[in-house]
Amino acid sequence: MRTSLNWLKNYLHIDLSPDKIGEILTSIGLEVEGIEKVESIKGGLAGVVVGHVMECERHPNADRLSVTKVDIGEAEPVQIVCGAPNVANGQKVLVATVGTTLYPIDGEPLKIQKGKIRGEVSMGMICAEDELGLGSSHAGIMVLPTETPVGKAASEVMNIEIDYVYEIGLTPNRSDATNHMGVAKDLAAALKINYHHDGQIKMPSVAHFKIDNFTLPIEVEVVNAEACPRYAGVVIKNITVKESPEWLKNRLKAVGVRPINNVVDVTNFILHELGQPLHAFDYEAITDRKVIIDTLPNGTTFTALDETEKKLLETDLMICDGQRHPMCIGGVFGGLHSGVKETTKHIFLESAHFNSKYIRRSSMHHNLRTDAAKVFEKGSDPNICLYALKRAALMIKELAGGEIASEIFDFYPKKIEPIEIKVNYRDVNNLIGVKVPKDKLLDILQALEMEVIEQTQASFTVKVPTNKTDVLRPVDVIEEILRIYGLNMVPMTDNIRMSLTYGTHPTKQSIRNLWSDFLTANGFIETMSLSLSQSKYYKEILPYPENELAFIHNTSNVHLDIMRPSMLFSGLETILHNQNRQQVDLKLFESGKIYYRTTEGYKEEERFSIFITGKRWSESWLFDNDKEVSYFTLKSFIHNLLNRLNIKDYQSELVQNDFFSFGMEYFKGKQVLVHFGKVQPSIAKAMDIKNTVFYADFKMDTIFNMLQKSKIKIEEPNRYPSTQRDLALVVAQSVKFEEIATIAKKIGKKLITSVNLFDVYESKEHLGESKKSYAVSMIFEDAEKTVDTKEVDKIVEKIISQCQEQLGAVIRR
Amino acid sequence: MSEYLRQTNRKNMAKEIFDKVEAIIVEIQAAQPEGAEAIEQFRIKYLGTKNIIKPLMGEIRNIPNEQKKEFGQLINKAKEVAEEKFAALQAVSVAEAAQSDANSIDLTAPGEPLALGARHPVSIMMNRIIEIFTRIGFTIAEEREIEADWYNFTAMNTPEDHPARDMQDTFYMRGIENMLLRTHTSSVQARVMTTQKPPIRIIAPGRVYRNETISSRSHCQFHQVEGLYVDEKVSFADMKQTLLYFAKEMYGPQTEIRLRPSYFPFTEPSAEMDVYWGLKDETDYRITKGTGWLEILGCGMVDPAVLENCGINSKKYTGFAFGMGIERQAMLKYRISDIRYLFENDVRLMKQFGRAF
Repeated sequence: MRTSLNWLKNYLHIDLSPDKIGEILTSIGLEVEGIEKVESIKGGLAGVVVGHVMECERHPNADRLSVTKVDIGEAEPVQIVCGAPNVANGQKVLVATVGTTLYPIDGEPLKIQKGKIRGEVSMGMICAEDELGLGSSHAGIMVLPTETPVGKAASEVMNIEIDYVYEIGLTPNRSDATNHMGVAKDLAAALKINYHHDGQIKMPSVAHFKIDNFTLPIEVEVVNAEACPRYAGVVIKNITVKESPEWLKNRLKAVGVRPINNVVDVTNFILHELGQPLHAFDYEAITDRKVIIDTLPNGTTFTALDETEKKLLETDLMICDGQRHPMCIGGVFGGLHSGVKETTKHIFLESAHFNSKYIRRSSMHHNLRTDAAKVFEKGSDPNICLYALKRAALMIKELAGGEIASEIFDFYPKKIEPIEIKVNYRDVNNLIGVKVPKDKLLDILQALEMEVIEQTQASFTVKVPTNKTDVLRPVDVIEEILRIYGLNMVPMTDNIRMSLTYGTHPTKQSIRNLWSDFLTANGFIETMSLSLSQSKYYKEILPYPENELAFIHNTSNVHLDIMRPSMLFSGLETILHNQNRQQVDLKLFESGKIYYRTTEGYKEEERFSIFITGKRWSESWLFDNDKEVSYFTLKSFIHNLLNRLNIKDYQSELVQNDFFSFGMEYFKGKQVLVHFGKVQPSIAKAMDIKNTVFYADFKMDTIFNMLQKSKIKIEEPNRYPSTQRDLALVVAQSVKFEEIATIAKKIGKKLITSVNLFDVYESKEHLGESKKSYAVSMIFEDAEKTVDTKEVDKIVEKIISQCQEQLGAVIRR
Repeated sequence: MSEYLRQTNRKNMAKEIFDKVEAIIVEIQAAQPEGAEAIEQFRIKYLGTKNIIKPLMGEIRNIPNEQKKEFGQLINKAKEVAEEKFAALQAVSVAEAAQSDANSIDLTAPGEPLALGARHPVSIMMNRIIEIFTRIGFTIAEEREIEADWYNFTAMNTPEDHPARDMQDTFYMRGIENMLLRTHTSSVQARVMTTQKPPIRIIAPGRVYRNETISSRSHCQFHQVEGLYVDEKVSFADMKQTLLYFAKEMYGPQTEIRLRPSYFPFTEPSAEMDVYWGLKDETDYRITKGTGWLEILGCGMVDPAVLENCGINSKKYTGFAFGMGIERQAMLKYRISDIRYLFENDVRLMKQFGRAF
């Protein structure tokens, strides 16, 4: 919202600087987002002064030029060569002095320089209207009245207005401040309380309003009074529609409204002055001289002012003529045929109060976010309608002539009274947290035009002006008091008030941080992708039941039409983005959510995903750096992460799903903890990813739940030495290490503390087809005594025989 | 043999033994073994288990009693001289070896390529904010992102047709009525207040969504931290105190704040908090709209209607709430000009946060 400082000055004496006023406006909740200096003429005619032509002779070398001597109030007259035919001795003219920049109506800015024209020195320019930007005439230089004082600045002579316009970010609750009068009143209150101002507001008088005759009667029928609680209007006869005077155009231009004609400009002026939207109808266009206010059937067509055809809703409140033809969407937008035109002779001027809900619905539906609609939506003051109507009528009479030719029609069946609110002093002080002195509090209320109608020791009751539609409860009154009292006046100490509350441990955030910090210490980069994804992935690349996808209804971006049901594509998109920028060796992780739909509604699950691809190490002279990351790189991180959270004794299975070409799944009971493996090459390919990608997906909700029961038992280090035994087993390709380890652990029981695979050897030549040799090491320990090597030997023999029996293993000795 | 002769013999013998030891001492002092091998030979000869000094110790029985002490001292001297000499030889040898290593190894070559990873700037910033508030007794609350209209709007005093709904462009879900992507973490307030009794003192970090065109300044997804404190007699002054503490922790102990009245449907009175940022350069002018003040968060006293909607007696309890954006603060702190960078995951950018706090 644009608010002009000069306009505010019409109602309020202001002598503080524009910046200071901006600061005060911000401090009372009218946030100034910018201050703009506005000059009614560009450049403000700086450097242009009144001059007196003392001599004027024909140029010796040019017939059409004159050489003049002009007194511009300086010690010596200046010589100026002038080409205007009307220049003459004794004239008072406007002189652009050397160094002045002019902004002509047409063309580029012009800088006046000292020069010679056909051999004669010229020290400035005598200006025409268009050269100064004052008008379009280039008939000759401007000639001023003879009494104009020499040397006076042109900006003063021509009444150049300099204004400051505040761009105010108006919040939706400030129905009172949509207009200059409202802002002036609020500013006055703040100035009165904190800046020793008298707080006086000058309301323009309408006392001289009178009805001239009743020659153009009009009938009004309000059918839908819920949508239109008040409807007032009057007819003005014999007006002349023309351009508005400069001062009015300046006011409107300052607040960003394009001047149209005197009648429309007045209605716009009143809107921005008083916050009351008005509408002027061409009286001749009102069939049957009757105005009907009602809703029309769904689908009725209406040609709007901008010549578009609107299909009406049955909730659009329409201002219709006597034949129920729509002329205007009440409070929102005018019609093409009923508006004021240059030929209009008589007008019907409307000043109404519409229900904000109706306005909002129509304005949103038809996408007509007009100033009037916005004002009505915030809630206008129903009790200003008549004052605004009279003020507008008087202005129109003044600017367009004419007579008031009907009585004032005023439909207002249920007067909206100021509401009365009782507030306890105790509540004011408790909520603000500081004791506001009673007299100061009462001063604030008075400054805000909130009349105190009752007072007790403990409370006061105020009548709230009807322009403050948002002040309905005691807390709203307290807000008004605090606003003017000053939020920054509330003192601060060095203590903080705190009530004890209790949380759980570990927090989810601490677990996320634990893992994240572990991974970053290992060279991983944390990514953050969009939760919004595209359904195309789950149709074309990785089929997913459509009815389980969480679709977004009103997305305008097809690439963001669902909430992601997995972290996979987030990671692949990241890999692709980096791959396209020559970053192919990646270790990434992301903590986030996935989303899907079930018959019971939408579900969200927290995930922690890891993506690795490319080289294991960056180039180094120290070792072989061609080594690519593998499934086993990923696996070691997964084990460390789970270990870090004391998660063990889970089961594992080969993973069987569409994500992976191979991988494992860890679970406990029915709860999956993590699955990980190599991303299906077909998926990677569909995403244009060239390298192999390994992906792990932790189900954090399961993991968080397990942590609540997690207990850690620390064992004292064994005082007795351990013994190691190594075995080399030749087994079939299909035999898994886990099978060997299970046999060993089962037989070794408590004595065997670890089983490790330390070498794998494959050779057709030495071992035969589909065979491999696993070198397995086992550590034996006894908590009670030095481990008995004979017992260990027995166990190893048993393990060997079981491996032979169960796995067909052959021992390499 | 006469006593005299015997004594003379013993004296001669003793002298001989003394001379032997003296000779060894001289020998040790004169020795100049070169190289590790020779030094080791030296050690074995004079200090090893079978050193040549040891057998001379046995000769003590042939030394006259009055000279025994002297002899013992001489033997000890021999040992000491050998030890000192060996220590000196060794020191020289280690230094020489080191010198030779330093010459043969390029010590300026890079170490093992252990890469340093990086947290995401939003995580760093979010953790910082969480840390600040948990220090003064706030606990973390987390809630769903696909939310019912009621929790996001209605409970928060923003019924349908309320103009405040215009302030935020909302993503609605397709298929289930009245479900949306939460537009602010304020929905967590309603979730917490409908399930917990005061005192409530929580912060709610999380992801929120707005149906906005993605540009350098705005995104369809970002993060907020919400705060809520409800108890008896919680005041605006309490809120101001808490937020001042936050501002000073976050932006330094000299930080000044100012509050401006504002409007949120779910707080009354409402305010926005600015910190004084200064006007050092062009960017400062732009981001502070030329005022030097930078908007950091929105806050206010929980509207009684919100308390009542959530089943909390507004006559008995009051509270304050605040909400702040994370991305904006991260962008300010790290001088990131375009919000899209935060969700593009370009590792060349993200790596740099390995050094960030």
